[in-house]
Amino acid sequence: MLRRVRRRYAAERRFRALGLAAIGVSLAFLAFLIVTMVSRGMGGLTLDFLKGSDSTDPAMVGVWGALKGSFLTILVTMGIAFPVGVLAALYLEEFAPRNRWTDLVEVSINNLAAVPSIIFGLLGLAVFLNLMHLPRSAPLVGGLTLALMTMPVIVIAGRNAIKSVPPSIRDAALGVGASPMQVVFHHVLPLALPGILTGTIIGMARALGETAPLLMIGMRAFITVPPGGIADPATVLPVQIFLWSDEVDRAFVEKTSAAIIVLLLFMLAMNGLAIVLRNRFERRW
Amino acid sequence: MTLTLALLAVLAAAVAAGFVAAARARGLRAAPDGGRLNSLPVYHGLHALLWAAIPELLLLALWSPVQTAFVDRAVLATPEGRALPADPVQRQSILAEARDIVAGRIEAGFNPQSTPLAPRYREAEGRLTAIGAGASLLLALAGGFFALGRVRRDYRARSAVERWAMVLLVGASTVAILTTLGILLSLLFESLRFFRLVSPAEFLFGTTWSPQTALRADQAGASGAFGSIPLFWGTAFIGAIIAMIVAIPLGLMSAIFLTQYAPATVRSWLKPILEILAGVPTVVYGYFAALTVGPLIRDLARGIGIASASSESALAAGLVMGIMIIPFVSSMADDSIAAVPQAMRDGSLALGATRSETIRKVLLPAALPGVVGGVLLAVSRAIGETMIVVMAAGLSANLTANPFASVTTVTVQIVQLLTGDQEFDSAKTLAAFALGLVLFLITLALNLVALTVVRRYREAYE
Repeated sequence: MLRRVRRRYAAERRFRALGLAAIGVSLAFLAFLIVTMVSRGMGGLTLDFLKGSDSTDPAMVGVWGALKGSFLTILVTMGIAFPVGVLAALYLEEFAPRNRWTDLVEVSINNLAAVPSIIFGLLGLAVFLNLMHLPRSAPLVGGLTLALMTMPVIVIAGRNAIKSVPPSIRDAALGVGASPMQVVFHHVLPLALPGILTGTIIGMARALGETAPLLMIGMRAFITVPPGGIADPATVLPVQIFLWSDEVDRAFVEKTSAAIIVLLLFMLAMNGLAIVLRNRFERRW
Repeated sequence: MTLTLALLAVLAAAVAAGFVAAARARGLRAAPDGGRLNSLPVYHGLHALLWAAIPELLLLALWSPVQTAFVDRAVLATPEGRALPADPVQRQSILAEARDIVAGRIEAGFNPQSTPLAPRYREAEGRLTAIGAGASLLLALAGGFFALGRVRRDYRARSAVERWAMVLLVGASTVAILTTLGILLSLLFESLRFFRLVSPAEFLFGTTWSPQTALRADQAGASGAFGSIPLFWGTAFIGAIIAMIVAIPLGLMSAIFLTQYAPATVRSWLKPILEILAGVPTVVYGYFAALTVGPLIRDLARGIGIASASSESALAAGLVMGIMIIPFVSSMADDSIAAVPQAMRDGSLALGATRSETIRKVLLPAALPGVVGGVLLAVSRAIGETMIVVMAAGLSANLTANPFASVTTVTVQIVQLLTGDQEFDSAKTLAAFALGLVLFLITLALNLVALTVVRRYREAYE
């Protein structure tokens, strides 16, 4: 019997080691990725690289054009997705009656959050470019496409944040004499805002790293001048990385890796900001 | 860009109307004959602003796409427009060039007919833009005056503003349905155009994918076969088989370790690091796969004797995709294992089971629906993934089970078909929409199945 117990304990130790090994594999892969990118790209991170734009000569390329394009695109995306997403979340959580129509809206939003991003690119191509003739490869079209993609994420995060506000706050506001709309906008929304912002930043980070839908709407062009406004042709950082990875010249490997380092730093900064926001401002009721 | 000026003018008029209304309301309140207003002055101001702004913004938003159609029609009626070729595709491209010249994006078009067309285009566009801008401005002034007339002591301005707010809320929620409808309709529309050129049976059941249609009758190497089975096999092979072989064991074991074995301090920094894995953009994964993992696997394969391995193997793409999916599987498994009540775990441990036996025999079976749902969602994510396969998998449509060979997937082909240079109407570009439609339907089905599995088979713990 002692032998059986010892066998069971040995199995327990093996199982635990397997779990540790699984985590170790993930961590090792992440470390492998970061070390490879840093080792190949560190040399390319010069000030000229950060200020220059795309060119055919690998010694002269820079990411400034792509960074500006990314910034304008994210501006359009957030300008559309944040208001629409927050308002939709408020309606679905606070005011919507429980009928077939709102069930359909809920199912729609949950499905849209899981649709592959390239389908949104096809939608943008068919509607924004072919039907509405908006300028190709502009941050306006890219922002609109990414806004459609980010809005469900914001709605879902918003609903969770609004759900976590306790009913006592709403009842107290109603008791003091506020109208339902005032309860929502003066009391529930400010309290749910940290959670909504956390979800928004995560959605924004995801939109910043998207490539496939922007390829579909034509951001594949060779842009040598940074965009001036949201209707000028532009490119974004992930698409720039993709375009440079196709280049045959080996000198582009260093530049691509350097651009990847810049992109990863941005991602880290935004996710870090979301985590800091969540830890400092989110209240546990 | 008169439309942008019109937009700014409408906004300015709305803000002005708001301030005037608020000032008038304040004047009423300060009146010596006992002025108690029903609503605060700010609500009167908001009321005026909303009436002056929202119908007009809607008008402007609907006017821009309609305007393009009207301008095209007006230009085609001019003498230069009537001289254009009858083919609608050519006509559209010449009109697009004229549009670009007017917008200042290019100096002169490729087609000689587009340059004289440009002044006519500018004329028509200017006329119609003026009509649109004028109409919206008139509407803004009308709305502003209407609301200003309502500034009275007993007018329930706050209720009116709240009615407007409800309209905005409902409108925002309908955007989601409109998006889904938009996706379905646009994909269906273009796919129907495709199925008029290629039969659905050949598309769904054919096994040769060679979409290069012949531009001339005697062009070699252009067969125009649109059988999509190799593409779906490639997607399933890389996304559902190889990636899942990597992701499911690693994700599940990571979740188990994190929830059951790791002390709280270790968990507090390990979880964010795994979330970083989920936050890395897929371009980076794809580049890494193409740069490092692909050649590594090729050398490995050559080392064990498979000489025909390419550096764009299915194994490389599947491996990297599997690691990308680990955080999804891990977080869903984490949630479902944490949802099992502590009483079951404590009871099993009290009977003398080790922690691993508790997990294997009690917790996992209880959490199984959630885990299965998570796996299905992960599969749906993997087959929709684009960038990793575009950069690490190949372009040749093979129907092979050899993981070291290069296969292509649905998403790679969609990107290939739409980012090359060809006219938009050919069967080649429309095939991309048909592929997109099938992909959308498959991921939709997977998501619905995952949701129903989780909802129906989840044990109801109190």
